[in-house]
Amino acid sequence: MHPDKPKHAFEPKIIAFVCTWCTYAGADLAGTSRMQYPPNVRVLKFPCTGRIDPVFILKAFQQGADGVLVSGCHPGDCHYIAGNFHARRRFAVFRKLLEFVGVDLNRLQFSWVSAAEGGKWVEVVTELTEKVRAMGPMSEFKELALEEQWSGAINTAELKEAYNQI
Amino acid sequence: MTPIDTSIYAAVSAAIRAEAQRILTEGQVSAVVGYTAARRKGSAQPVVITDANDAARLIFTPACVNNLAVYLTKAKKEIPKKGRIGIVVKGCDLKALTGLMGESQLKREDLYLIGVPCAGVLASTFDPARELTADSIAPKCSECDAHLPQGCDFLPPQTPATPALDRKYAAEIARLEALTPQERWAYWKEQFAKCIKCYACRQVCPFCFCEQCLCDRNKPQMVETTPRPAGNTAWHIVRAMHLAGRCAGCAECERVCPMDIPLNLLNRKMAKELKELYDYEAGFEVNDKGPLTSFTEKDDQSFIK
Repeated sequence: MHPDKPKHAFEPKIIAFVCTWCTYAGADLAGTSRMQYPPNVRVLKFPCTGRIDPVFILKAFQQGADGVLVSGCHPGDCHYIAGNFHARRRFAVFRKLLEFVGVDLNRLQFSWVSAAEGGKWVEVVTELTEKVRAMGPMSEFKELALEEQWSGAINTAELKEAYNQI
Repeated sequence: MTPIDTSIYAAVSAAIRAEAQRILTEGQVSAVVGYTAARRKGSAQPVVITDANDAARLIFTPACVNNLAVYLTKAKKEIPKKGRIGIVVKGCDLKALTGLMGESQLKREDLYLIGVPCAGVLASTFDPARELTADSIAPKCSECDAHLPQGCDFLPPQTPATPALDRKYAAEIARLEALTPQERWAYWKEQFAKCIKCYACRQVCPFCFCEQCLCDRNKPQMVETTPRPAGNTAWHIVRAMHLAGRCAGCAECERVCPMDIPLNLLNRKMAKELKELYDYEAGFEVNDKGPLTSFTEKDDQSFIK
């Protein structure tokens, strides 16, 4: 029934933080309309984009996400009147901070997807997945998580000398 | 190196002493927060004066780097919160107080502001007895736009010398912005790897007054608390984000950092972005809404699909 899924060497993990009133309903519409989109996306539902703290995005990258999507209601359509306006400013600034710290912004996507835009949801998810797939795994934060500050390795001449004197 | 004229500091010190003595004697304030000489030659430390006879201990020298505003926040308990408090402020310290007033942490009528005409203070890496020059001046002073604090209750009449200096933060930000993301990541990775999570930057910051910091919570744990690279990076990103639009650049975080991480660089970068995006500069007027707690319907959304 479904066309054969193409095999890829790398399947990116995409975390989507979505608002329950618009984008979640939009994604639901895509599902009930039987539209196909990459299964790489993991959707997390929030009451509003205004609830999505930049620290969630950071946490997602640290826990192994290769790409992050944040999506909510179009400006003016917020269920809580102004949540997405606040989110818009916050993410505009957070993007600049991540860019300055050296994160590739192509891995972070923001979008407005309304409850009627199942097609747009499919488009946004597909585009981000393919973009991140082409970029390869996000290694920066994962490497950090594996690194130890104080490794205990005796790897300098001074440390060796001190160790030998014990 | 070009010396910077600090000859007015003696007259400024005398004026501060006279004013502190007057307001304490008249009972206008219950305490004055200022600077006094510390034990090491030329150095200075914060002091709280409650007795008019002690006002003679107050000084102002190039070693008076501390931002005293931090003592008035609810996170600090050194000063009894009763009556009006007098405080000696440089222009940069006044910006922090202005921000705290906007965030309903302080009331203007509870403060008696003793302004300081300031030509600059010493960088913390130099001997406190050293002469102030274009080389030894604190980096924040090279970009100072508040040599004369505005709207104080008392301001000595002297005018500070304000030679144009090389803008150290602006130059460093421009250098980093010109790098590739990978190079910037390598730079910050090296810097953050030095962090020992002593939280001195949080302790000294006038704006870190939360009674429970997000980064100390463990249910859910948003930021790893151990001094490992992952937690350090997250801490510094969260810190910069929480200070965006509030920090006015007193650079105390950078001064107290025992590992010499260029923390104020992140703060200045955020300030620069907020100026470009929303034309907002922290610290000049009391606003009850900052750039990240307000919005307009016409805000830029070119980055959103």
